[in-house]
Amino acid sequence: MNRRKLAVIGLDCATPQLVFGAFRDDLPNLKRLMAGGSWGKLRSTDPPITVPAWLCMFTGCDPGKLGIYGFRNYRDYAYEKMTFATTLAVKEPAVWDVLAQHGIRSIVLGVPPSYPVPPLPGGTRVGCWLTPDASCEYTWPRELKRELAAQFGEYQFDVRDFRTDDKDYLKRQIGEMTDQHFALARHLVTTRDWEFFAMVEIGLDRLHHGFWKYFDPQHRKFQPGSPHAGVIRDYYRQLDTRVGELLAAMPDDTTVLVVSDHGAQRMDGGFRINEWLRQQGYLVLTTEPATAQALEPGMVDWPKTRCWGEGGYYSRIMFNVRGRSPRGMLAAGEVDAFRAELTAKLELLDDDCGVPMRNRVLDPATLYPVRNGIAPDLMVYFGDLRWRSVGTVGGAAGVYVQENDTGPDDANHDHHGIAICYDPTRRGAGERQGWELYDVGATVLAYFGLVPPAGWRGCDWHGGAQ
Amino acid sequence: MSDQQGLVIWLTGMSGTGKTTLAQALAQALPARGAARMQLLDGDELRQTLCRGLGFSRADRDENIQRLGYVAQLLERHGVAVIVAAISPYRETRAAVQATLTRCLEVQCTAPLTVLQQRDVKGLYAQAAAGELPQFTGVSDPYEPATAPAVTVDSSAETVAAGVDKVLAALTARGWLAGDAGLTTAEEELVRQRLADLGYL
Repeated sequence: MNRRKLAVIGLDCATPQLVFGAFRDDLPNLKRLMAGGSWGKLRSTDPPITVPAWLCMFTGCDPGKLGIYGFRNYRDYAYEKMTFATTLAVKEPAVWDVLAQHGIRSIVLGVPPSYPVPPLPGGTRVGCWLTPDASCEYTWPRELKRELAAQFGEYQFDVRDFRTDDKDYLKRQIGEMTDQHFALARHLVTTRDWEFFAMVEIGLDRLHHGFWKYFDPQHRKFQPGSPHAGVIRDYYRQLDTRVGELLAAMPDDTTVLVVSDHGAQRMDGGFRINEWLRQQGYLVLTTEPATAQALEPGMVDWPKTRCWGEGGYYSRIMFNVRGRSPRGMLAAGEVDAFRAELTAKLELLDDDCGVPMRNRVLDPATLYPVRNGIAPDLMVYFGDLRWRSVGTVGGAAGVYVQENDTGPDDANHDHHGIAICYDPTRRGAGERQGWELYDVGATVLAYFGLVPPAGWRGCDWHGGAQ
Repeated sequence: MSDQQGLVIWLTGMSGTGKTTLAQALAQALPARGAARMQLLDGDELRQTLCRGLGFSRADRDENIQRLGYVAQLLERHGVAVIVAAISPYRETRAAVQATLTRCLEVQCTAPLTVLQQRDVKGLYAQAAAGELPQFTGVSDPYEPATAPAVTVDSSAETVAAGVDKVLAALTARGWLAGDAGLTTAEEELVRQRLADLGYL
């Protein structure tokens, strides 16, 4: 068993075109790790969303096996019951659970989802940004919360008031939150006994979503000469500095993985999936909403409705199947033909300028060998994620929108994140191709000489496939 | 490693009711809920080792269960989450053994006899029907179901995942799995609003 330490530093949404490209020379610490190690794009999960992506990375399971397809998941087919993907929904062991079974101690900070915080025998754990607030029990051991509060003040799980127009306030918050998280990480790695460390910093994701339009000339809302044009580059520099400080607090022979759960790209707008489904006659409401509003089950004329969609960075489409849902309309024998019809229509859609959107429509039945829980019947990446899905109905906005009423729309996720693997005892291999997010867990377990649990997905980057 | 308290999940049920399948799924799920030290005691396996030589008379069946119970007791005392998957056909014997355990959750695994006969993964029901197994539980030997099990899992009507959820919920309700409080309604709304603000919904 390898007794050298291993640290996984997760930078949510760190994107390869910036880390390996435009900002590379601004990031001396990451550049040093790349120069001495191996690095490359990291293919994310489908869907490439924070939850389930980090969970998939550290459990070696795809979303189907986990039964977790997003932040919220249907509990059944009765239209209404969506539940949050908290740790209570996780039925598979993560790497730190497996390591604990072998007496290997872990520090796990902010890896989503991590609330409620389950015990981690011999280890230390701090909840992620899905923790309601600092009054909750967000640490393991429980008494750690008091120690952290005394030393670092109130824990900042996430930025507040994300939709503020005060971008300076938003930028300041993200920077301060990140500084606090890394200070806390340095504190723990120097005061606790550990062999494995994993953290996820969420600030970069927030920054991309909030500031992308100021620096990307291709963005529809790009503002030349904006005072915020350098915010993203500056934050990457800050992040690089904090990573360097954290590594300096660890033993020199620590092996380091720097990874992200997905990348980022500009967002061109929002596609109102339910308005489009209404236009096609697939979704029927009992009354016309006066203004745009969220689709609620009570608004739907279910006996006339074949499907409905969810908003978010991608869309989940659920079919209203007879015998499966209380007021199902589609006969089971019609489902396959309907799926094909809907897929074909979605794939052929043009955007608001008449340019093909390049929508990707995915069938979970072909993506995931096992589908636990309630899987969507289809998943749609509008514009291959250049467009978000908007779930509202009603109002005069039409199908394509630029102003999003549910959240920021500067950036969306992309299919590839980053991975840098630096082992001071090995010669690095430079740029690598074909790495997948699932490989991270397998690589960690192999590092400690452990065989992954049965069905674990991924390859050890220093060895063969699991 | 002193922060995990022991517990025992005792799965009882006739052959083919899904005890081993449920036990293996629980063994996967427990570490993620803080029970990193976990041990599965499978009745079939232990009959090849610790209980080798025991037959299927009432006395031997009782001895078999008492040995399983003794091991479970030792492990529980040392903070291990123990999953026992054994037919354990006699109510009185189960009760006596479980009385020696501090935190024991009895889980009744069940399915209609016709379903078990159709499944017959090990071919035992067919052998029993042919008169080749004179002491086959539930057919030619008694099986006494639990009168008040903490959890009942009917494998003919429920998925393995649903069974796992029921067992974990029962452990949660007893406070035997720490850190397992769910979100309150107010907390759920707080998180929902945060996700909406961030554009995830």
